This record gives sequence, structure tokens and C-alpha cells, in this order.
Amino acid sequence: MATGYRLSLWVIDMFAYLIRRLFFVVFVVWGVTFATFFISQVVPADPALAALGDNAREDQIKEFRERNGLDKPAYVQYAVYMNKLLHGDLGQSLRTSRPVIDDLREFFPATIELSLAAFFVALLIGVPFGVIAALNQNRPPDVIVRILALLGGATPVFFLGILLLQVFHAQLGWFPGPGRLDPYALTPPRVTGFMTIDTLLAHDPRTFWDSLYHLVLPAVVLGSASAALLARMTRGAMLEVLSQDYIRTARAKGASNSAVILHHAAKNAALPVLTVLGGLLGGLLSGAVLTETIFSWPGIGRYVTTSASSLDFPAVMGVTLLAGLVYATINLAVDLLYAYIDPRIKYG
Amino acid sequence: MQLVKWLGVSLALGAGLAMAQDRTSTLIYGGDWTDLITADPGVSYEFTGGLVTDNLYETLVKFEGTDLSTLKPGLAEKWDVKNTGQGWLVTFNLRKGSKFSTGREVTAKDVVYSIERVLAIKGPSSFLYTDVANLKPGSAKALDPYTVQVALPKTASPQAFLNLLTFNIGGVVDSEEVKAHEQNGDWGKAWLTDHSAGSGPFVLNRWDRNSQVVLTANPNARLQPKLKQVILRYLPEPQAQRVALESGEIDIAENLTPEMLKAFGSNPKFKVYKSDNLRLRYIGMNAKEGSPFANPKVREAVRYAINQDDIINNLLLGNATKIQTIIPKGLLGYNSATYYTYNPARAKQLLAEAGVPNGFEFELLTATATCDFVPCADLAAKIQSDLAKVGLKANIKQIQNSEVLKIYRAQQAQMVLVAWSPDFPDPDGNATPMSDYNAKSLAYRNVWNNPTAAKLAQQAALEPTPAKRAALYKILTELVLKEGPYAILYQPAQNTVLSVKVEGYVRNGQNQVRFENLSKQP
Repeated sequence: MATGYRLSLWVIDMFAYLIRRLFFVVFVVWGVTFATFFISQVVPADPALAALGDNAREDQIKEFRERNGLDKPAYVQYAVYMNKLLHGDLGQSLRTSRPVIDDLREFFPATIELSLAAFFVALLIGVPFGVIAALNQNRPPDVIVRILALLGGATPVFFLGILLLQVFHAQLGWFPGPGRLDPYALTPPRVTGFMTIDTLLAHDPRTFWDSLYHLVLPAVVLGSASAALLARMTRGAMLEVLSQDYIRTARAKGASNSAVILHHAAKNAALPVLTVLGGLLGGLLSGAVLTETIFSWPGIGRYVTTSASSLDFPAVMGVTLLAGLVYATINLAVDLLYAYIDPRIKYG
Repeated sequence: MQLVKWLGVSLALGAGLAMAQDRTSTLIYGGDWTDLITADPGVSYEFTGGLVTDNLYETLVKFEGTDLSTLKPGLAEKWDVKNTGQGWLVTFNLRKGSKFSTGREVTAKDVVYSIERVLAIKGPSSFLYTDVANLKPGSAKALDPYTVQVALPKTASPQAFLNLLTFNIGGVVDSEEVKAHEQNGDWGKAWLTDHSAGSGPFVLNRWDRNSQVVLTANPNARLQPKLKQVILRYLPEPQAQRVALESGEIDIAENLTPEMLKAFGSNPKFKVYKSDNLRLRYIGMNAKEGSPFANPKVREAVRYAINQDDIINNLLLGNATKIQTIIPKGLLGYNSATYYTYNPARAKQLLAEAGVPNGFEFELLTATATCDFVPCADLAAKIQSDLAKVGLKANIKQIQNSEVLKIYRAQQAQMVLVAWSPDFPDPDGNATPMSDYNAKSLAYRNVWNNPTAAKLAQQAALEPTPAKRAALYKILTELVLKEGPYAILYQPAQNTVLSVKVEGYVRNGQNQVRFENLSKQP
């Protein structure tokens, strides 16, 4: 009886919390639209001239402004945009005249695929290295990990990308060049936009391997900074936990070294690491601009750079909205997960 | 390291060394194709759009090789221009047996439909038909299945009309196929964005935006390509292009830096193809009364003060052609005269004669962008230092390109560093904008109103005989050279690096590359 009561209280608590958080997400998304719109208004630049160029005639410019509503006052433009947005319409790109939603659909899967790969690279490298460093505090493995972490965090993505392409692709030939597939490969029909999945759906294992193979270098480049951060975080968290009383108690009770690390230390050290993971994934999803440029990756990062340089406001707005949503959702997910792992945390 | 190697090699084995396509019949062309927004010949007005549609569609007349002054037969085997007194009648005789990729024959009704379509769509390039050629719905008629007649008013230039037909706007579409894909009266515009219905040597197989454009040989084409497939692979970053070219992943690279070109130039596995672009990089000087550049002698002084050779050889590493006149090399009417040789002493003397022996201070406006191969800021700094030597103090103001244009178009700039490309491959694409104040283009922006120049430009535009036209342009270019508000700096080269295995690559000043002539050695 008591347990049932507590459970239902917990469910009510969590539900109320979720509602509050979802309300917050809506607020964040509205803030994003407002800020983006405001910035687009103060930037001294004319989208019509940017789209039509030097040779455009006055009547063409006028027609462009009217067609895209740019001749109306800013607050009217904003109201029109928000009204469309509430009806699920992200508008048309000024540059390509294509619905922004189609562009997002086309380019976002490539970014998700790359970001997830980079995320796994960061996890696979960052966490074990952090643990190794912590267990060997101030000994050579720790020093090496710390130096690598420093390098990984400080090397510009652009430089690292070109370096890896030059060494591992052009010189050694171990990894393929830029792009998602070999230039001579038969691209599978587009179903999900995820190359790894689409190649499998097309029953083409050879191209599937090729798509995985093409993911390695860009994922390493994109994930390196995150791996460095994770290694530092994990090391710090492990050291903190290893100095706790209960670890000493566990050791005193005769638990083996590996049992202490795996059962007692790792789980507790995971908590602070988990908080950064969400932020990392969000950062990867929205921060892939340079990696996508170097590796000719047809993702959202490249789309937004091209759009921004041609002052394509609806396109930029679409991407910022998407990024805002992704961040808010990941943060929410992390918070829920956090409370699940650590029973001391209550929703409230 | 072993692990990395193991991972790489095992994945490579998984991927398989021989991929699905034959490497000698497929050519991979790497470049920054980001500007491609449509493959519709009636809408496209960007560089990559032109490159693609030129190979998907045929035009009535065309240019061959790098010569942009002699028209050659395309879908029309013959054409003629008649002066009717009220205007011009241009008659085209189509060759029989040209086929679209659908297998249907190209007939006069398709030509008329294609012209009507451009007029109805009102796309970015439609003004070429409406404003330059003064065409209206009904101007083009099919006299019989193989004869098309186009009526132009007296005010339009028949030569300019023929020249602009070589542009993608002149691409003839399969009217039945396009009508079948029409949605809500859009003349098939949505469908043609990423499909093709032409008689060119290739068909558009697929376009993965920001990834690749796959062109496959058109089995019904009159001009049969040597290759089965050409793939435009998006590689926006020059470093990525360099690496991909070195490793053999691409056969041609489009946007390499001058330093990379130099390195590839000395590598026997590659060849550098240089072609002229029709773009002119120039300085515009505001000749409005009260402006420091109102006096023609001051403008002459600027032209004497700028060291063009230094800019071309040291800043651009030779990747440009020296030019001082307003019609670019490659077009009819090009004038190779280099009247102004670098002479700071003469510049100072002219400034003294103009009553400003100690020079003056002014604003030099340029964009926060790349000017051909170098940052605009670098080019502006070079101009600034050249002008400083004769006492002219330029304050560089670097702003967003569309803002530069806004100020310039409102006649508010003192001096601008910008570029101009003609709208279509005809000398009038430069002559009228740069000479006729009333055309509200470049002469207007620089407040240079010279009725003689304007009249010459109009006369040359309407002249139907190429030789007479060229003679008129010679007079005009010399007049603008000495009196105009411009200091033309150079015509940038367009450089392409090819693997030595690639043969048949020719690119004209309009950036047309005929893929049907390309082949690849094993």
C-alpha cells in the first residue's frame, strides 16, 4: 500500500516536472526565433541584393522583396513568420526557393549520423583514457593522457581535419577521402538519409562498409575535442570517487581491485560525466560546421553557413530552431536520466 | 598505430577495391558546386547551373571551343536575320533527327514552347528575353516542324539575341515531357529542378544536394559522349580538393588556390588548364560634380598610379590577364590596348594639372569577401599603397558585399573595388551598362553621363554585321578607356587542374565545358 502510494506520488511529481520542462522548451524555442529575427534585422545587409547580385535590375529587386515579404515592416514580417511557424510552416529559402523543411530533412540525417559516430569516438576514447589516467595518477600513463587531452582540446578542427586527410588518406591511403561514399560507388536510393542505413536497406553490404569507412576520419576529427574533455572529466570524477571513504571501506572488506573500480567507483563517477555527455552531443550536432566543410559532408552545418552568407533568413531560422529543439530535448533527457541513476535526486 | 592500420585495412577490404562503376568511363569532377539551385535551363542563372544545363540541353546556336565571337550551328543548322523595317525577323532551320532523351524528335513546337516557358516563368534570367531581346509571348512562331521564326522589335539587337541563345536560357526542352510533369500551371518548373528533358549529350541521373550531381550519357543524343558518366562531386574546401585530386578520388579540381596551382603545375601527373573568365575586376570612381574624381585628369592619374603588372604577377601569381578596356577578352570587340603604363610621375603631374598637387583623402569601398584569388582587403591594400605614392590617401572601408552594392547603386560611393560579369556572352553585356548612363547600371552608379559613349553603345548593339559591330566597339572602348570612370585592373583566369589521364577538356570564357568531348585514359 505504502509503496503504491509512493509510486503514484513519484509519477505525479515527474509528470508535473515534465510539463514544466516542456513549457520551458517552448519558451526557449520562442526565444531562439526572437533572437534570430532580431539579429537578422540589425545586421546591415540586404537579402535581396545578396540573392540577386550585382547585375540585378531595380524591378527584379522590388519583385523579390514583395514576393518574400521583405517590403513590410519588421514586426509584420515577424508576425507573419510566427503565424506560419505555428501552422508548421518554416517558410521558403530565399536562396533556393525550396521549403526550408525539405532542406532540413535532406541535410539533418547526415549531421546526426556524423555526430553520433563522433559521440561514440569520444566515448570510446575519452572514458577509458580518463579511467586509466585516474588509476595511474601522476604516473606516465596519466601524464600522456593529460598531454593528449590538452592537444585534443586545443587543436583546431580545421587543422586536424586537413592533417588527417593528408596523412591517412593522401599519404598512407588507409582511409578514404572526403565525402560519404567512394566517388565510384553506387549511391543507394534515399530512404532515411542515413547512408549506413540506406545502404543496408538497399541490400548493398559493400557500400555499407564503404559508408562506415568514410565515417571514421570525420568522426575522429569532430569527436577529438569531446574525447579530450571527456577524458579530463572522467579522470577528475574517478579521482574524486577513489578518495571517498566507501572505496576505502570496500577495499578494507577485501574486494578485488577490479570489483572496486567497476562496482563502486565507476557508477558513482559516471554521474558528473553524464551531465557533460548531453551537452557534448548537442554541441556535436550543432558544431559540425568546419568538419562538414573539410570532409564535404552534406549536413546541416554546411547548409547553415551557405544560408547565412547569402542572408537567407528563413533557412538560418529553420536551423537555429532545430538546434534549439535538439539542445532542449537532450537537456531534458539528461536530467531525467540523471535522476534515474541517482535516486537522491528528486524531480522538482 | 597498428590498430589504426588494421581498422583502415579491414574496412577497406570490406568496402572492396573495385567499386560498382567503371573508372575509365566515369569521370569525377570535384568543385564547390554550392551555388547550384536548379537544373532547369529556363530558371538557372548561376555558374554551376550553367555547367550542368549546358550538358543536358542543346541550344539553337552555340559557341565552340574558346571562341565566343563566332556562332556555330546547334539544333539549328542554318539561321538568318532579316531587317523588315519595323524590326528583325530571325529564322531558324532545325536539323532533322535530333532526339530528346525520351526518344521524341526535337521540333519547332518544342523550341517555341521553350521560349514561351522562359517568358511565363519570369525567372532570374527571363529579363534576357524580355529586356534585352524585347520578346513577348507570341514573338516566336513555328512555321513548320523544322522552321522557327522569331520577331524582334527595332530596339533589340539581333546579334545580342543570337548570342544569348547560347546561354542556358536557350536550352530547348521536350515540351510533351515537361507538360506531363506540370503542377498547378508551373510550366514543369518544380519537376525540372532536379530532372532533365533535353537533347543534350547527358541526362540528369540524380542530384544529391551538397553531395553529388550524376550525369549519365543520353542514349538518344545526336552528340554521343565518350564517357558513360560524369559526376560533379561537391568539395567546397580547396584543401579537400587538393587531397582528393592527389589520391585519384577526383579527376578534375575546380577551385584550387594560386599556391596549389603552382605545385600541381610542376607535377607530371597533372596538368593545369587556364581559361579566361569574362569577369572584369575594376575600380569605379564617382564622377559626380563636387566629387574629387569629377575631373577626368584625376581619373587618368589613378590609372597611371596603379601598378597592374605588380598586382597580376605578385598578388595573383599570374592568374589573370592584363586588360584596360571594358570588353573582356574572348568576346567580339575585345580591345587589347594597354594605354596606361605604370607611371607615378605622370600621375602626380596630372593631379597638379587638375589643381590637386597634394592629393586628397577619400573612401575606398570593398567587400568582406574574396576578390578572385585573394581577400579583397589585400587587393584594396595594394591599391591604397599604389595611390599613396602619388599623394592620394584612400581610407579602406570593408563591408558586406550586398551593402557595398547598395551604396554603389545609390551613387553614394567615392571609389569602389568590385567586379562585373556580362549577363550574357555578348559585348553589349558590358558596353551598355558601362557606357550608357540611362541604362541605370555601372555608368549611372559612377555618375558618368557621356552621350557620345551612350550613343555608340546603342549603335553597336543594334548593328547586325559582326565586322561593323567590332569597329564601333573599338571606338567605344577607347573612349571609355580614356574618359570613363573606371580603372580596369584585370580579367581573372579560371584555373582547373586535371589528371593527365583526362583528355578533351576545353572551357570557354562563359565557363562552358562540353562534357561530350571529355575522355579518360586507363
